[in-house]
Amino acid sequence: MNNDTKLLNQLFELKSKIDQENLSDKFERNFQRLFALLEEEGLFFKDPIGELYNDARTDVEVSIVGKESSQMRITKVIKPIIYKKEGGNALLLQKGVVIIEKA
Amino acid sequence: METVNYGIDLGTTNSLIAKFENGRVTIFKNPIGQKETLASVVAFRKDRILVGDKAREYIAKDPTNVFGSFKRKMGTDSQYYVVNMDENVTPITLSSYVLKELKTFLRNGEKPQAAVITIPASFDTMQSNATQKAGIEAGFKNVFLLQEPIAASLAYFNHAAQQDKSGYWLVYDLGGGTFDVALIRIEDTDMQIVDHEGNNFLGGVDFDTAIVEEILIPEIVQKTGLENLKEEISSSGTHEKLYYILLHKAEEAKKDLSYQESTEIEFTLDLAKGDSEDIVLTITRERFNQIISEKINLTIQMVQQILERNSLSSSQIQQIILVGGSTYIPYVRERLVDSLAITVNTDADPTSAIAEGAAYYAGNKYYQPVAEEDTELSELTIDSLLDDFSENTTNIDLDIQLSYMKATQEEEEMLLVKVQGNTDGYQYRLIRDDGGFDTGFMPLKTKFTEFLPLIAHVQNLFTFRVYTATGEELAGLMQKLAIAQGQYVIQGQPLPKDICIEVDDKENNTTKLELIFERNSLLPQKKTLYREVSRTIKAGSDERLIINILEGDRFVRPVSCLVIACIEISGKDISSDLLKGSDIEVSLMIDESRQIHCSVYTVMTEQEFKHVFSVSEKQVSVPRLKDQFMELEQELRSALKMMSFSDENQWQTACEQLLDELESHKKDLLKLKENDKSDKKFIIAEAVQRIAGSFDKLGGAERLTQMQTEYFEARDFVEQHLPSVYFEKENLTNKFKKIVQSEEQILRTRNASILTNAITRLNKLGWEVLYNDLGYLIGRYGEFKSWDPSRYTNYTAVEKLFQLADKALENEQYNTFRQNVYSITHLTKGSTEFKPKNEDFKGTGIG
Repeated sequence: MNNDTKLLNQLFELKSKIDQENLSDKFERNFQRLFALLEEEGLFFKDPIGELYNDARTDVEVSIVGKESSQMRITKVIKPIIYKKEGGNALLLQKGVVIIEKA
Repeated sequence: METVNYGIDLGTTNSLIAKFENGRVTIFKNPIGQKETLASVVAFRKDRILVGDKAREYIAKDPTNVFGSFKRKMGTDSQYYVVNMDENVTPITLSSYVLKELKTFLRNGEKPQAAVITIPASFDTMQSNATQKAGIEAGFKNVFLLQEPIAASLAYFNHAAQQDKSGYWLVYDLGGGTFDVALIRIEDTDMQIVDHEGNNFLGGVDFDTAIVEEILIPEIVQKTGLENLKEEISSSGTHEKLYYILLHKAEEAKKDLSYQESTEIEFTLDLAKGDSEDIVLTITRERFNQIISEKINLTIQMVQQILERNSLSSSQIQQIILVGGSTYIPYVRERLVDSLAITVNTDADPTSAIAEGAAYYAGNKYYQPVAEEDTELSELTIDSLLDDFSENTTNIDLDIQLSYMKATQEEEEMLLVKVQGNTDGYQYRLIRDDGGFDTGFMPLKTKFTEFLPLIAHVQNLFTFRVYTATGEELAGLMQKLAIAQGQYVIQGQPLPKDICIEVDDKENNTTKLELIFERNSLLPQKKTLYREVSRTIKAGSDERLIINILEGDRFVRPVSCLVIACIEISGKDISSDLLKGSDIEVSLMIDESRQIHCSVYTVMTEQEFKHVFSVSEKQVSVPRLKDQFMELEQELRSALKMMSFSDENQWQTACEQLLDELESHKKDLLKLKENDKSDKKFIIAEAVQRIAGSFDKLGGAERLTQMQTEYFEARDFVEQHLPSVYFEKENLTNKFKKIVQSEEQILRTRNASILTNAITRLNKLGWEVLYNDLGYLIGRYGEFKSWDPSRYTNYTAVEKLFQLADKALENEQYNTFRQNVYSITHLTKGSTEFKPKNEDFKGTGIG
């Protein structure tokens, strides 16, 4: 794992904690700034929380909680999906690590 | 005869593919996720077959359709019943799926006919034959087998400097889920496995589980009092979610402990009634070693058993070669050294050593390529010939049409696939090129749809491939799809010109343009710029920040562009001083009706200034107008001076007229108040813009050609002198590269002000280059010394500098010498080389 990925993972954790404490408004501008700075380097992450899951999603590594179902949703994100933009295209730097449950 | 070159580690837990080429081995990466390893797991989902990591995710939840560790059953009559297919599959077929998937890692367009596949030392003839058959099922025409410990040794020997390798060697292979140890004897060129031991249920996964069960759960129980946690936490218990989180954290902690003495695990524990508790636990390497020591002891016992059985002492073993990801654990290495007193060798990469060794072996292994007419008509080859026949004929008959939107604002886009021809037995696979989406192998139908998930604001590239039933790709049917997400709106209008912000160029006492939105970008567009205040604005003062948004060409002078939005923030508007260097955020949005929404946030005073501008409203900042006026005046004057040296009288006359026209507005400009409500500032601004434009066009194509020549002369000058630069060579080379990287665009625009700008920058760089060339400096210094004192502004100071420079030169203190020559330059009369253009320059206040 390179330092870019580590940095974004820390940022994601930080943001998750702040969201959990309902302090998002207070730090929104700072996060926007951080994300903009990272985006200048082509780096960005995606938090897939709440998204539907299917077999073709290879952008996440999943653990299935409960019984498997035809409609599964991402209920916990342990690590976000990290991309790097290069020449207008995106490279997947890190797959998300998530937990999925019956939707 | 051809060399095989391809080596495959067909592992119980993970598999890899490598190629020997030009004396080196390349380990191929999975296009999905860019990992070298592929999980040896196959999942028969309802509508598709998944192979690898994605399949492994279902192994606990869908055991009737997902299979792993089938290598252990190779060569037996075991069959796996697949509920979703209502049929049995053999370990051979499952292995062939893994091999076929490994072939998709190859991005060199090759379709290998032969491969070396590794097998454990313990494999008997039946198991070996089964592996060979799996290779043939996967489409290889020739399969050669190689024992894994031999492969690992080969990988090591290719890294080792040691010449004489004769004697006994041990290969200790501790992987993710299995352990194997083998004793190898080498005599001259003969390498043979003498004995081996193994445990199919001992590996890194067991260590992760041990961290969860023996360290984390007891600590959580102690911290929270959740006494039943140990019984309830498992992959099927009530705390299942927590179990998976802990398992993931445990794996990370294990990796951290390979290179640090302790690590922390942090997670949120959801308690009853919606409460939660943040828990941070520290794990030391010592504690981790304690919990895995029993398992490591088991492996050492097996090594000792081998030595005893073969009546060998440790001293008779050359080295112990470590293979498998779990041998990264320092404790494993320490225990082996302490218990066995054998030199531990970690030169080969533990993860890829077997595949690497297989590829080395394949690089020296020859096979006869199969020519169809020469093929012996065995049952197997008849089948393959029939396959090839049907492949070739169907290949011609299949016509595939993909329909999709090339640009969208949606997060996913529908792909419609229509196929003409007989689709029976064919499969397709659609992969997003970053590896974040993969349909797996799907049966090809005459008409079907796929929903393609898209990454925001980028060009999403997908590859659609068609395969035969045996997994051979029909290369001629491959198609690429590109879908731009969020970048274009179908009915959006494009920006006719670049949109830029005017920022200070302090180095040159002027302003420059910085691109915000590029020409032809489709509306709406939104962006936030982060800049710094370039000079202090005192609260209550008349000083001001000017946010000028301009429309035009990004390469021209700001004065030639149209101001489409302007926000002025005066010292009277701010609640406290805005210090130089403090942050400023400018958010700009241009909507589809081309209204500009601009907001400026000064971080230091925490104030926000918003405005909505319509392009039909002209925006003029009086202080900026004054600056721009002065700059243009100066530019015209210096151009006139240059023209007076040439024969271009016509240009000179035209330039004089432009200067006269500009001067005619000077009186009004000087009288202009900052809060002027009349239309005078608009009249002057329009004149300044028009005169700048006319000046750019002056001389037409002839002047442009002359300027292009000047450009190339300036460029060549810098290029020729750069190699002899003594000081700051790297910095100056970078500056040069930066200027010439946009050369093509600069020359193509055929715009005088763009060319003037580039020539000025190159000329300035030329001076810098000369003044950092020691030879030039010494020569220049000699000239200065020969000058008449009247040519200096302060000759007494110059004399002193001469003394200092002489001394510096004598002592070879070249940096000091350079500084002295610079100082002398500043004391010459009429020197303009380093003089700022406009001493009263105020700029925008944005750096």
